[in-house]
Amino acid sequence: MSIVCPYCGYQNRPGILFCEECGKNLQVDAANATLPTRKIDDGAKDLAAKATWGTARFNPSSSILIHVRDNAEPIILQPARRTIIGRSDTSSTQKPDLDLTPFGALEKGVSRIHAAIERSEDTLTLIDMGSSNGTHLNGQRLIPDQPRVLRDGDEIRFGKLVAHIYFK
Amino acid sequence: MDLDFYGLLGISPHASSDEIKAAYRRIARRLHPDVNRNSPGAAAQFQIVTTAYETLLDSIRRRRYDEEQERNRAVKNNMYFTLRVTPSKQSITPVGDPQVMYLLTEIAPDPRTREEEQKRESTLNLTLVLDRSNSMNGTRLDKVKVAAHQIIDNLSAKDILSVVTFNDRPEVIIPATYVTDKPALKARVSLMTAAGGTEIYQGLSAGVDQNRRYLGPRLVNRVILLTDGHTFGDQERCLELARTAQKEGIGISAMGLGHDWNDEFLDKIATATGGTSAYIDSAGAVVRFLNDHVRHLSNAFAERVGVSIAPDPDVQLELAFKLSPNPQPLEIQDGFIPIGSLQANRPIMILFQLQIPAEIELGFRSIARVMASGDVLANERQAFQALSDISTEVVAEPLPDDPPQSIMDALSKLTLYRMQERARDALDRGDIAEATRRLENLATRLLDMGEEELANQALAEARRVAHTSNLSDRGSKALRFHTRYLLAPATDDKPTAGTGTRQLE
Repeated sequence: MSIVCPYCGYQNRPGILFCEECGKNLQVDAANATLPTRKIDDGAKDLAAKATWGTARFNPSSSILIHVRDNAEPIILQPARRTIIGRSDTSSTQKPDLDLTPFGALEKGVSRIHAAIERSEDTLTLIDMGSSNGTHLNGQRLIPDQPRVLRDGDEIRFGKLVAHIYFK
Repeated sequence: MDLDFYGLLGISPHASSDEIKAAYRRIARRLHPDVNRNSPGAAAQFQIVTTAYETLLDSIRRRRYDEEQERNRAVKNNMYFTLRVTPSKQSITPVGDPQVMYLLTEIAPDPRTREEEQKRESTLNLTLVLDRSNSMNGTRLDKVKVAAHQIIDNLSAKDILSVVTFNDRPEVIIPATYVTDKPALKARVSLMTAAGGTEIYQGLSAGVDQNRRYLGPRLVNRVILLTDGHTFGDQERCLELARTAQKEGIGISAMGLGHDWNDEFLDKIATATGGTSAYIDSAGAVVRFLNDHVRHLSNAFAERVGVSIAPDPDVQLELAFKLSPNPQPLEIQDGFIPIGSLQANRPIMILFQLQIPAEIELGFRSIARVMASGDVLANERQAFQALSDISTEVVAEPLPDDPPQSIMDALSKLTLYRMQERARDALDRGDIAEATRRLENLATRLLDMGEEELANQALAEARRVAHTSNLSDRGSKALRFHTRYLLAPATDDKPTAGTGTRQLE
């Protein structure tokens, strides 16, 4: 299933973002593609000035929204100095601050003590607590015990449980 | 934040030996040379991981390693750099065809350095290798002298400078020395006269020799080659020398002045060492360009930075390109691709293009491991490393997923550079019709983007190719370098006259 360039008809491999033949943006819909003087790059210049990623600045008095995939209701959380994320288990005495059991944590390979969100002056960091199936931040696997800064809109994966985090 | 042996294996410092074995097996399945026959990145990383594994599995060696790490952590103010990789999409859908994914890789200095380090100058071990062949006579040589004088003025007494001039033979006019007696050094530069032909190997080899004399791990060891001519018969030896220099820790930047030099060759020399290549189209731009280059070198936070990418066995690396600073194509044959300096105020951005196979299973899977290494100049202990493991989710139904703007922005420009490259490839194959078509397409795109002058140049070259089957000397360089400079942000240095805002004259 190749991507046919709406401008020149060249068949590009899926995932190619700019046509390998004529160099035009393949992300625009075909309806606009016939306009010959469409200058997509003027827009791109303005956007380049914007931050690449969401803000890393977190106001300590505000809260975070955690959107677990396939769940309409987000988790709203006022992060403490340290918020442990995991799943509760009758055999274990330690209970996580944020229990992901209602979101299918067990089937999705979330550890009892999986990860933690730590709040400092004006940033939040995510730490993998040595979980069995790992914690991924925007597709990158975290090294256990090494904090990574969280940004607004980041994708976090606990085992196979996918969530997005938003600052509010 | 240091990447230690535990981090390399993705385990906690308290891991049991069973956990260590399991982690190593998991990584070996991705990196082992038996499953990655054509991946120098995987081979290099496999070796590193194996060393970590063997050390941690041996309880005596593990204890010794832990103690050493403890001591290292006790050293205050150790600086690090960060590695962040953004994929062009968070999830992929099997489509029955191979598909492409991009990884935007950012290597940034320790955020703590932003204020302190920007002012702190790194110490240079700088060698200038200057062409004084006949064609340099007149304005060119005059401007080179002015440039060298200004460089001497801007260096400090801690810096080391050597200057070699060459035509058919080399002459060391300033043997490697601390920059203390500036008037005397400048006087020696003033005595340069133009004569003879161009034999780059002679000059480069003498220059690298001078640089070696003070070669040090906490210095920026750099040779800058400036030439305006073709060299004959010694290109292979030059490249061999460049590769040796890179292994020793010396970077080479190669600058071509005017239109009569081999752009492909200078590109290769620079790429092989993590240096920069540049096209300086008029003598007037020499002064500013050389000075800017040296100023950036003295702003280095880390040196001898290398990046290594190990795609999973079924994933193919197709392209690596340094977007910033100083856009430069990268060679993917090295386990660690030399990148050169990481400046205190500008992150390094690299774009990788990967091909994912047609046959992929649903679920989460890893894509590639990216590692960065480099010497942080402020640290006592060198060879800092950072790691990023990239994975994605393969889903049956595509999720709404717009590629990050940073990747779109980089690709909109990089595509233009790739178009001129493909035109060149077609020309090399003797396919005149394809080369012409590609150049015409390039001209159209450039015009769309408001790059009128370059568009006209591309169009003129398209006509020329159609008639003569050749690019002009000037056009070839303009297309190769100016499409590349489109990637540089407006504040970045572009070595063409009139585009820069910073003038040191």
